[in-house]
Amino acid sequence: MKNEAAKAFIGDLRVALFLAFKSITKGNRWVPILLVLVMSFSFVNVIFASSILAGVMTTMDEQLVNTVLSNVIISPQEDEYYIDRVSSLEDKIRQIPGVAGVSSRLIDNVFIEYQWKEKERPTDRGKSGTWRVVGINPQQEAGVTTIHSHMIEGGYLHGNDRDEIILGVEIAGGGRAQSASFLTLGGVRVGDKVRVTYSNGIQREYTVKGIFQVREMEEADCTAFVTWTEMVSVLGRQVFFDRASQILVKAQEGVDEDSLVRQLSSIGLKGEVRSWREYSGAMHSVVFTFRIIASLIGSIGLAVAAIVMFIVIYVAVVNKKREIGILRAIGIQRSSIIGSYLTQAVVYAVFGVVFGWLMVRFLLQPYFVRYPLDLPIGLVSLAVQPLIVGSSTLGLIGSAILAGFIPAWFIMKQSIIRTIWGQ
Amino acid sequence: MIVARGLHKVYGRGLSATHALRGVSLTVQPGEFVAVMGRSGSGKSTLLHLLGLLDTPTSGEIHIEDTDVLKLSEEEKSKFRLERLGYVFQEYSLLGELTALENVYLPALSSTTGHRDYKERAARILDIVGLGERLGHYPSEASGGEQQRVTIARALVNQPRILFADEPTASLDVKSARVILELFRRLNKDLGQTIVMVTHEPEDQQYVDRVVWLKDGFIEREST
Repeated sequence: MKNEAAKAFIGDLRVALFLAFKSITKGNRWVPILLVLVMSFSFVNVIFASSILAGVMTTMDEQLVNTVLSNVIISPQEDEYYIDRVSSLEDKIRQIPGVAGVSSRLIDNVFIEYQWKEKERPTDRGKSGTWRVVGINPQQEAGVTTIHSHMIEGGYLHGNDRDEIILGVEIAGGGRAQSASFLTLGGVRVGDKVRVTYSNGIQREYTVKGIFQVREMEEADCTAFVTWTEMVSVLGRQVFFDRASQILVKAQEGVDEDSLVRQLSSIGLKGEVRSWREYSGAMHSVVFTFRIIASLIGSIGLAVAAIVMFIVIYVAVVNKKREIGILRAIGIQRSSIIGSYLTQAVVYAVFGVVFGWLMVRFLLQPYFVRYPLDLPIGLVSLAVQPLIVGSSTLGLIGSAILAGFIPAWFIMKQSIIRTIWGQ
Repeated sequence: MIVARGLHKVYGRGLSATHALRGVSLTVQPGEFVAVMGRSGSGKSTLLHLLGLLDTPTSGEIHIEDTDVLKLSEEEKSKFRLERLGYVFQEYSLLGELTALENVYLPALSSTTGHRDYKERAARILDIVGLGERLGHYPSEASGGEQQRVTIARALVNQPRILFADEPTASLDVKSARVILELFRRLNKDLGQTIVMVTHEPEDQQYVDRVVWLKDGFIEREST
């Protein structure tokens, strides 16, 4: 009995494959060409939309890592403001394999004023605001973030600088800032003086040495930097000589951040060790929103592909109604006939995916690598992710299976005689 | 052997119901060549469709070789048609994408009887119907008569017990029609093939053993 069933299955499969092969190779040559084209462009559409959004997300992530957070952030323990014994900690961290750079930072929220001498009364707001000033070792910081390469005016800090400050463009203001003028210092230029009032009440006047802009990464552009030495002298050498508000750790290319976090946690430092993903918080929800939008666009693309495929296969099946009736009349099993249309649909889908992938891989991807989209957020290229390719491939083949199955199954439900008569 | 009893077939319902067959009973012996004749609308094609398991009667019984075929499931009917029945249709019924040889061996490909020599067998049958030289031709490259002969070869490839033919010469010229009917007679006489053929051509009577005349869904008379 089992043997009989196996024979029947093999017979049905053989007929299904035979009919599908003949229909593809000997039928109307435009049907396979058009179907493969439709599937290819549907695939490209799904991949392109998702990959551009993934590219935006990648750019945002990269900017966040490169300019604000680095790969791993060590912050003080929950009930403390600072991390102690920073210099020995830095040495320990540098010895961990996979660490490319370490930068300790002292952070203070400050009041910055520009042209304060022109104010009529001390209580006037003038050109001022509250921002974050970060004290850095410029050389170490350059090994961890890329702020130094985003200077749009003036230059970056040197280790010995004491009376100088660099400002993010959203603090400096002027034509290149995105924020409204009243939210900035209203157009500070390199060489101008600004007055900084620290949280401990100490005031310092600095010459603006440089202004930087990290595209749309506003968090970075709303930050000012002075040297570590300067910051320590302001906050109190005795207390802050060997302390930091946070330590940024840059991972070498290809190093797994989570494993680096585990290694850092195991060296017994007194602080919270988090990867940038964990730390990014609000940015994470933006990225998550983008992911949802990408999935929605991908799903719509797949649905359109499935509908187009369905229509084309439905028309092909309807045109072959009489043939289907004849096949049923001579005893060809329904499963063989449906199987032949399923096979055709899958073949078209597979070829569509292959051609689509070739278009993406050898046409679109190289093009966008060479000419990335210059969006306000930064230069965005296609980020073709294996997950997107995999899910699009499965989605498209799944859609094709449905598109091949439903019309054939629908016709199978009609009586043989009506099918032969083409009704 | 086919035994049909009290076959009724009603199309539609209520006032629009059409009685195509009104209690037809018929027996076809093994090796017999029977023609079913009658005017248009007499129910002859309907009878053939019911006997050939292409349609289901509203009521009645059909036994083919002791099998109560109306009790078979759709899949079993399909298998029964494939392995025990052969069909020749009124109009050309070949698959345009297949050559003559492929059209003929297609049912054998699906058969579970385990014929491994299906290509040779198909070629042999095509030779029998006089198309041994045209195995690789597509239907579009063949005449109407040749296409019908390919259809007959296809119907015979699984060595069916009964061959059904629904006005097989209706769309052929006189010469081609004669070739087809001669072929049927040869298959019947030489190979003992049971054939049930629907026709409306009076001159076809000379080729058959028995003629069943239908009128308004009833068997009007039979002649030998």
